Amino acid sequence: MLEISDLTVAYGGVIALDQVSLSVPEGSITAVLGANGAGKSTLVRTISGLVKPRRGSVMLGDEQLVGRSPEAIARLGVGHVPEGHGIISELTVDENLRLGGLWRRDRADQRVAIEEAYELFPPLRVRRSVHASNLSGGERQMLSIGRAMVARPTALLLDEPSLGLAGGLLAQIMQRLVVLVTERNLSVLLIEQNARSALSVADQAVVLSLGKIELRDSAERLAGDDALRHAYLGF
Amino acid sequence: MRLFVIYTVDGITNGMVYAAVALALVMIWRATRIINYAQGAMAMFTTYIALVVIRHGAPYWLGFLVALATGLVLGAVTERLLVRPVESRPPLNAVILSLGVLILLEAVAPMLFGGQTQSFPVPVSNIDFVVGTTSLPVSPFAVFTVGAVLIAMLLLFLVFQRTTLGLRMRAAAFNPEIARILGIRVGRMLTLGWGLAALLGALAGMLAAPAVYLYPSNMDEVLVFGFTGAIIGGLESPVGAVTGAVGVGLALSYVSGYIGADLAPLGGFVILILVLMLRPQGLFSFGRQRQV
Amino acid sequence: MNSLLRRFTFVRHGLFFLGLAVVLLILTSFVFDSYTNYNVTEVAIFAISAAGLTVLTGINGQVSLGHGALMMIGAYTTSVLLTWHPDLPLVLMLIASIVSTGIAGAIVGIAGARLRGPYLAGATLALAVALPQVPSHFASVFGGNQGLSVSPPTPPAFLGTSFAPEQWLAWITLAAAVITFFVLANLVRSATGRRFRMVRDNEVAARLSGIDVARTQVLAFVVSAACAGLAGSLFAYWVTVTSPSGFTLNLSLSLLTAIVIGGLGSLSGAVLGSFIVVYLPVWTGGFASSLNLSSNIANNVPLAIYGVVLIVAILVFPRGVAGGVASIVHGVRRAAGSNRRAGVLPAAPQAPAQ
Repeated sequence: MLEISDLTVAYGGVIALDQVSLSVPEGSITAVLGANGAGKSTLVRTISGLVKPRRGSVMLGDEQLVGRSPEAIARLGVGHVPEGHGIISELTVDENLRLGGLWRRDRADQRVAIEEAYELFPPLRVRRSVHASNLSGGERQMLSIGRAMVARPTALLLDEPSLGLAGGLLAQIMQRLVVLVTERNLSVLLIEQNARSALSVADQAVVLSLGKIELRDSAERLAGDDALRHAYLGF
Repeated sequence: MRLFVIYTVDGITNGMVYAAVALALVMIWRATRIINYAQGAMAMFTTYIALVVIRHGAPYWLGFLVALATGLVLGAVTERLLVRPVESRPPLNAVILSLGVLILLEAVAPMLFGGQTQSFPVPVSNIDFVVGTTSLPVSPFAVFTVGAVLIAMLLLFLVFQRTTLGLRMRAAAFNPEIARILGIRVGRMLTLGWGLAALLGALAGMLAAPAVYLYPSNMDEVLVFGFTGAIIGGLESPVGAVTGAVGVGLALSYVSGYIGADLAPLGGFVILILVLMLRPQGLFSFGRQRQV
Repeated sequence: MNSLLRRFTFVRHGLFFLGLAVVLLILTSFVFDSYTNYNVTEVAIFAISAAGLTVLTGINGQVSLGHGALMMIGAYTTSVLLTWHPDLPLVLMLIASIVSTGIAGAIVGIAGARLRGPYLAGATLALAVALPQVPSHFASVFGGNQGLSVSPPTPPAFLGTSFAPEQWLAWITLAAAVITFFVLANLVRSATGRRFRMVRDNEVAARLSGIDVARTQVLAFVVSAACAGLAGSLFAYWVTVTSPSGFTLNLSLSLLTAIVIGGLGSLSGAVLGSFIVVYLPVWTGGFASSLNLSSNIANNVPLAIYGVVLIVAILVFPRGVAGGVASIVHGVRRAAGSNRRAGVLPAAPQAPAQ
């Protein structure tokens, strides 16, 4: 369970997140929707420890994440698929995957986890010794998700995975994600501008606007209610 | 022809020492976007420590190891205590900081070790090999110099390319933020990177000292030539740095052999300017425009 | 309105620097002994060169680790010309040195205009190491490692035969310094100075607003080199021997130390920094000899202090000591309701014209 409460972030004097509270239960996907500049990326970056909040708390199980370094938060089980996938293009596909769980003590299980990532996204296996700079957009996104999964996280943060992906490929990746969530009992926070894609896989959804949660509901209801959809999501 | 061979061998030998410095600079540049102008002064300092050890009756090799170990520590401590606070500040701060370390080390060294120029021992003879009656233009120490730098480079290559520690260090250098969210302790990697770079510098100091002698600013020129090589090589590329530095070594050797030893540094400067006029980012850069 | 303001600033600067000149004239004539005058001359020489480096590094953002080499060009211009024609007047020597070093600065600037950060620093560093080797090689012209001797300027006859040469050189140097700072203070405030800063702060934005970045950078190099040339020429008269050993890398680093200690980008900081860099060895030398320290220690205490001061200045005052002072002053001014920009100029705001 990922429990965010009263999270407030400001850059200089500008409030980016305003008392955001949100809980992401295990084995479920929570979609965070909203326009550019609504504070979506700030939310994941704060959970990851890359941005220090002014106030509030983020609990993963019994662990308080606020105040910890990004590397400590990663080691507590938060996987982060950053905006623009965050692949290190100077390294090979295999090296990128290995990076995911380098800090883990269990070397044998680390090898198993990398193997699982290749099974999850078979296209990566053929390209394992290729420099990541040569990957297509879809392959990069697979690599980024695969890399996050290698660490065997309990919570997964995805920042705009749909960016630059063709619809079919996106749907494919999302399907894999849904399978992962139930298999691994993951708490997933899915940041998206592409509301349609996000709502198709999410369990619950919140709409962020100017740093505040404007609306929260089950994904099903939000997708089904035309008025709400038009008002908040524009489709 | 014989002269040409002699100059070439000298050039390669010196070039390998510059290459060690160049590689140290490039390692630090890639990881922290900082040029460590104190690289040469640190090497001078560790070489003095080696000399103290050797003068106390210890064998050369113990002094050699002590120098490398002190280099590792000195580099790591410098990063952790001094460089860390300026890493996120404007680049000029780091430039001035490392110049401060350079000045401080060159001031403290004569206080501790005396200011006069001292000779420095060689582990193997630096008199040219003789086969029958002809002397070859190569000495055992020259072979040792080239060999030691090559081995150091090979070891570094293996550490960086073949170990998980090396993978962590590369990730931290290429993209610190991503490395952090993957659980890599980037700070430690940078400290270690500075340590390894200073170790390589310490090796250069030990290899340069028999020829340039030991005094507080003895590594200034070596640093400048290594830096010149690294710049010619494009600062981003280890292979470029080594190639550039050996090229500088050769060029300086030819200039000082055929024209005059005094003009060697000027020759280095002219080559640097010519290369930069043609390619402002150096020869081995990937064309990424960096404004630092 | 704008030109009126500018003329107003110009007049204000003029009055300030005129007042400064009078004060310095009185001090050097009636207050200082000849040893102090000798040191004050060195401060002024350093300050001229440091002010040039301030324009280049502090205001235009180009790092030069080779300004000592530019001073060397000025010093050798004067020394070589004097060897050929010992009777040439001093003013001509100063001008010749400014011109020759300015040209050298243009060449370095043109070569360096495409270079950024470490590439430029590396090129100027290589220059600092390479140039001092030239006189050794062309000994017939430059006197080799022994150098060329320069006789200090003799005071004109109307000052009387007992007039100390140190005082005369102090007058000349301080006059040169006051003029240099007057010119630079106005330059920094002018449209050209604004272009210098825009290029430093954001090259892309500067280019977008129509500034020729390369030309601006070359100009900054020329201005800076001209100052170094003037300082170098005066330096030759002051040391009386121009040899390569006077222009080591340490000189370049001391200049950089001076402008950092004084607060980067501030002309008054360049003066403060030069004062510290010149007087620190004097003070520590006296202190060390009173403690009977060995020469190895005594001679290096100032260097060690520079090193520590540079490190501490960067860690504690990222903008330098005067930068720290300037930001405090700025804060006070803002609190007092004035929106004048602090930190660029010396005490000019206190000038009577305000």
